[in-house]
Amino acid sequence: MIKFGKGNLRVPRLSRKVFLVGVGMTDFRKFYPEKQSTELCLEAMKMAVQGTKVSAQEFHGMVNLCVYSQFADHFGDQLLAASKIHDYLGFDPIPNIEVKTGGATGGSAAKTAIELIASGSASVVPVVGWERMDEVNTRQGNAYIASAACKDFESPLGWSYTAYYALMMRRYLHEYHPQRETLAKIAQKNHHYARFSPFSQLPGDYSIEEILNAKVVSDPLTFPECCVMSTGAAVLIFCDEETAYRLTDHPVEVIGIGAGTHTLRTADRRDMPILLLPNETEDTYKGRSNDWPGFTSFLAARFAARQAYLMAGITDPVEELDLAETHDAFTVSDIQTYEDVGFRPYGRGAEFVESGDAYLGGRLPTNLSGGLIGSMHAVGATGLFQLAEIFWQVRGQWNEIHDDEELWKRFGKTKPTDFESLQVPDARRGMAISHAGTGSHVTCIILDGGK
Amino acid sequence: MTNQRQEVKMLQGLETILLKENFGEAIPEEYIVRENPRTIVHRHTYGGLSRFFGGLAESVLWGTVCLNQNCKWSDIWLPPRVHCPDCWEAMEWVPIDARGAKVYTHSTINLPGAGFMLTTPCPLISVEIRGVCTKFMSYLSKFGENEPYIGMPVKPVFQKDNPTYTILDISWVPKNSD
Repeated sequence: MIKFGKGNLRVPRLSRKVFLVGVGMTDFRKFYPEKQSTELCLEAMKMAVQGTKVSAQEFHGMVNLCVYSQFADHFGDQLLAASKIHDYLGFDPIPNIEVKTGGATGGSAAKTAIELIASGSASVVPVVGWERMDEVNTRQGNAYIASAACKDFESPLGWSYTAYYALMMRRYLHEYHPQRETLAKIAQKNHHYARFSPFSQLPGDYSIEEILNAKVVSDPLTFPECCVMSTGAAVLIFCDEETAYRLTDHPVEVIGIGAGTHTLRTADRRDMPILLLPNETEDTYKGRSNDWPGFTSFLAARFAARQAYLMAGITDPVEELDLAETHDAFTVSDIQTYEDVGFRPYGRGAEFVESGDAYLGGRLPTNLSGGLIGSMHAVGATGLFQLAEIFWQVRGQWNEIHDDEELWKRFGKTKPTDFESLQVPDARRGMAISHAGTGSHVTCIILDGGK
Repeated sequence: MTNQRQEVKMLQGLETILLKENFGEAIPEEYIVRENPRTIVHRHTYGGLSRFFGGLAESVLWGTVCLNQNCKWSDIWLPPRVHCPDCWEAMEWVPIDARGAKVYTHSTINLPGAGFMLTTPCPLISVEIRGVCTKFMSYLSKFGENEPYIGMPVKPVFQKDNPTYTILDISWVPKNSD
């Protein structure tokens, strides 16, 4: 669809308020032989409930429905794994559903839970996300992920999403001419922030030269510019207003939700007029001749962001949000997303990094969690991980979690001696962007921790 | 009367391989990690798109176009679709005129995923063709230094001998090559 009717552009609204009240997760590893997926999900659930005012037994008595979030049955080699996990968590016969939208599965699962509560259908909904990506080697893992591209016309051409993003990156460099180093800075930033997270899989301090001179997966993308492949789990607990305060003194409100889709095949994206965000006008793109969305932008991300901003009343995201978590599967997808969600106009995403806005201390620090490049991409858990990190930030709780020696020890790690606090001062609002394929599904969820 | 009991025995072929390490890391002794091998054959139909894959074996690149007078979209789809996404009417098949085709974007794959059936390095390309509303994904099967590049003129070549009836049966070469 390249022309929109009024119905398509309707702004979503929630029929009653929805709150995030508890979050939990495991650490994320390349290989996790010590625990099955059931055990990982239970650990994440236990942490989420331990952060509330109720016991595991009391919580069992409150739940109306569970939403499960796993990208691909292929990885864990178990169809209906959600049913096993639901049983393991002791929730039977409470109903459950599993949501699947590729890499955006976590965001879509959270959005589904929010909508179920807003509708009155449920009052307390845990969302459980995980991925077990260590049963196969990395080459097979890439092939499984690329099975979510079109198997007739795309998958055999690489069996790797890195290649499909590299096509976008080459085109982005051609159309907008950012400094190549700016893209590497995104990888540098996220690997660095991952150093201060006990949950992270691939922390590290890399020079720009090291990133650019690293092995090339599919040119121009180098290894440190690509996301990790992880095993681990994350859990969120959403509920209605009445229940929220029974579970915590500081619930975090959901103030904006949005979702969009676009053709699974990047090739099939027809040229169309740019869908404008609240902080743009037609003059913003006067004289522009590049294709849109072409290979450099994600219509799905723009569509989702527009819905979420209009619902939350946000007119200038860089000024009105305090932090963001983007789906940095690759450095190029991150810079594309900055433009789709209006952190900068199209073609100027590099400015968001070069201005310092994207860093702690900047106007909109992004991926303080370490993101997918530095911390984790256990796909079904990823969108939940992003919201969990925002939850801690907007409750002013980031240090309590990440600075906790016991948590580092629990994951068999040592806290760095040069540990830095990444708590955003007075953080109130944060947005998580969950993203699939080359932008086939995107969700945006905005949380508000209140004053 | 004796109760003749039958036995159930394990069939031959269930091989046991227990891993001592994975991804370069030792597996702690108390955990069992076994290999579960897998060989599966899927029987996949191309359905209404069969004409496209059959066409490659005959050196014809087929696209589709919507001829519904009430539908505003008249550009050619490649990959073809049997039905128009806007009006849902069946589209018409048209051979693609690839004269003027050029590289829209490219990436040379060094480390593909499992199951990749081409040699590496392999230049992956998206091809821009006049009158076609899509950017066809394919590969360059002949390339020299500094190739491919954006805007590079290319022409299609087909796997006429022993076609695989997959998208790998079409590739592109520099327009000025033999």
